[in-house]
Amino acid sequence: MTSLGSSSSSTTEYVVRVPKNTSKKYNLMAFNAGDKVSCSAWTQARMERDMSNRRIYGEEESQEGAAGSEFGKKQKEESRRKKYGIVKKEFKVEDQPWILKVNGKAGRRFKGLKKGGVTENASYYIFTQCADGAFEAFPVHAWYNFTPQAKHRTLTAEEAEEEWGRRNKVVNHFSIMLQRRFREQERGDDDDEEGEKGGKKKKKKGGRGGDLRIHDLEEDLEMSSDESEGSNGEDDEAKAKSKKDKGPKGKGKKKKKKGSDFEGFEDSDDGDFEGLEVDYMSDESSSEEEEQEKTKPNKGEGVPKGIDEMSESEEESEEENKNEEDAKEEEEEEDGKKTPVQVEKKKKKDSSGESDSSEDSDIEGEAASALFMKKRTPPKRGGGRGSAGSSRTGSRPGTPSIDNAATSNTLRAAANKLEQGKRQTTIPSSETPAAKRLKMEPSPQSSSGKSTPQPVSGKSTPSASDVQLTEDAVRRYLIRKPMTTKDLLKKFQTKRTGLSSEQTVNVLAQILKRLNPERKNINEKMHFYLTE
Amino acid sequence: MSDKGKDVDLTRAKQNTGVWLVKVPKYLSQQWAKASGRGEVGKLKIGKAQGKTVVSFNLSEDLTVVECSGEKVSSVRSPREHPFTMQTVGGQSLAVFTESSDKLALEGMVVQRAECRPAVSESYMKLKKLQIEESTKPLRFSQKLEKAITTNYKPVSNHSYNLEYEKKKKEEGKRARADKQKVLEMLFSAFEKHQYYNIRDLVDITKQPVIYLKEILREICVYNPRGPHKSTWELKSEYRHYKEGQEEEEEEEKME
Repeated sequence: MTSLGSSSSSTTEYVVRVPKNTSKKYNLMAFNAGDKVSCSAWTQARMERDMSNRRIYGEEESQEGAAGSEFGKKQKEESRRKKYGIVKKEFKVEDQPWILKVNGKAGRRFKGLKKGGVTENASYYIFTQCADGAFEAFPVHAWYNFTPQAKHRTLTAEEAEEEWGRRNKVVNHFSIMLQRRFREQERGDDDDEEGEKGGKKKKKKGGRGGDLRIHDLEEDLEMSSDESEGSNGEDDEAKAKSKKDKGPKGKGKKKKKKGSDFEGFEDSDDGDFEGLEVDYMSDESSSEEEEQEKTKPNKGEGVPKGIDEMSESEEESEEENKNEEDAKEEEEEEDGKKTPVQVEKKKKKDSSGESDSSEDSDIEGEAASALFMKKRTPPKRGGGRGSAGSSRTGSRPGTPSIDNAATSNTLRAAANKLEQGKRQTTIPSSETPAAKRLKMEPSPQSSSGKSTPQPVSGKSTPSASDVQLTEDAVRRYLIRKPMTTKDLLKKFQTKRTGLSSEQTVNVLAQILKRLNPERKNINEKMHFYLTE
Repeated sequence: MSDKGKDVDLTRAKQNTGVWLVKVPKYLSQQWAKASGRGEVGKLKIGKAQGKTVVSFNLSEDLTVVECSGEKVSSVRSPREHPFTMQTVGGQSLAVFTESSDKLALEGMVVQRAECRPAVSESYMKLKKLQIEESTKPLRFSQKLEKAITTNYKPVSNHSYNLEYEKKKKEEGKRARADKQKVLEMLFSAFEKHQYYNIRDLVDITKQPVIYLKEILREICVYNPRGPHKSTWELKSEYRHYKEGQEEEEEEEKME
């Protein structure tokens, strides 16, 4: 090493050596600057070749001999390939990508793809300075571009296409991945867990529908929301349960984060109500319970009728009174399950009434009891009765005023029902409605006697009475064209019907059960439709 | 994790050794390959001139001789001076790792990129000219022959391989019908090896006349005119069980 000094420049000379006998092959590892990779920060690293392409290139020979093989098959295949000039690419281990795992399981993963054409026209050398100041130059054997691999969930191509189609409607993008996770859970879980899931979903929905009810499990779980959008850095080993828990929790959290839960909730109907299908089809537990309880008051009758039917059907006061007591007893029993039960009952009654109004009289007794029971329960079904009756039976002549007066949907909140009950005293009568009216008249009285009087104006009319969640409306839709539950829910948006999401769901479920529409699978989705 | 995953030796990476990545012209790397002894190829001069770093590489004298593929003695010598153009690493973080037969090691990070350029000189131009000449030569060329070649195709009464074939045929003679039992044995053992057979292959294996063989086949086998194994024969289901432990006795019994 000699140094030459000069006035304006100083140069130092170094010897350059190109070692001849290195067994080591030097390669380059290129990372994108944006990934912020710092090799010195690595504590541990493992690297291996990615052999996943082997099966594509290597010809997988099915077992030779024995069953399924032909004599001389290999030769035939070979000669065939030669004839057509098919040349298979060799599987070269040297050219396979690298998989680099840094800092163990929890660390980052990289995939290094070989960059072609590096050594064709020019050679790259690595100059390292040795202890003696000389430079040693090593030729670069290959260049690999390393890219980090995502650990978070990504959508497959089909799902991405789907979401792309809905991009204008979906505002809450965080929910997309959540829903996907939910869907996966649904497919993976057993039936046993379905009830649990359903419950969880309900909870989740409640959390969403209500004012940011924090999920119970949130405290237990640790959610680490990382830089990636919304989806959390859960590792692949997340158990189904924790996934499930995280699902609703994450939803709640995201809602909080996003701060626009209601808006998001409203607009992202598609994603939000995805779980609902489970409720309808598989949630047998609650429906069973409903059934059981229904049969009780029905005293083993055929089809119990809904409130609306009851209101429409002819009923006598004696029966009503008698049933009233029964109803009351039972009501007291089923405090917790009232809503679904009632909705169920009402729906059934409604459906029967719809199809054949003559049945009304037959089921008066039940109707009465059911009616009372329903009235008893926390105001949910509300004045749906009157309105349902009015809206459903087109035969009801000239009662637009009544409609407006008791315009709430069939399956409104129970509070509505109570209020409606009171109001229905004014409903005019036609043959079938007459009986119902009669029934209604005493019923409000009785109900008022029992329950605390509710402000009439309360929820009788929806804020925007464009859409009522009535059986009639649903029928209209289903007759017109096949729809999925999601579509139906979209039609009856909570803002317009005044029902909360849960109620809408329940109500719609009952209506559907009542209507018993035909089912058809279009695009792998269950569509309902009616033919009339 | 598979066994193949090798732990990367990070000891040198931790030292934060910086290396240079230098792009070197092909001819220069060829010259370097000819280095002898310890592998000294030249000298690197790093200096500062007017505030900028100037790096230049000087090729050793003895390595300037250029080999050329032509017959003429090379009068061309590769240039000696090679200034380096320094570039930033930017955009990418480059690391160097080595792969030896048994282990992987991370050598360091690239801190500087450079390009080695030959100083434009007369000798360089000549060198380039030489290279271009070489590269423009086609790989294949046609050459005129002085004399026509007459040794290839000569008329022959009968080709040698033809004669062999006929002899072989005569030896073999016509295929004789062997004992039915024996034929069945042969068939069963053949079907033990493969499930589907072409009639031609069976004839070769059993060396029986086709008609006779077909009769026997109709007894124990079924013909697949269509399907994935087209026009092949396979044993009837009662005769076959392709699992472990084939029992020929069973089959023979059945047959009898």
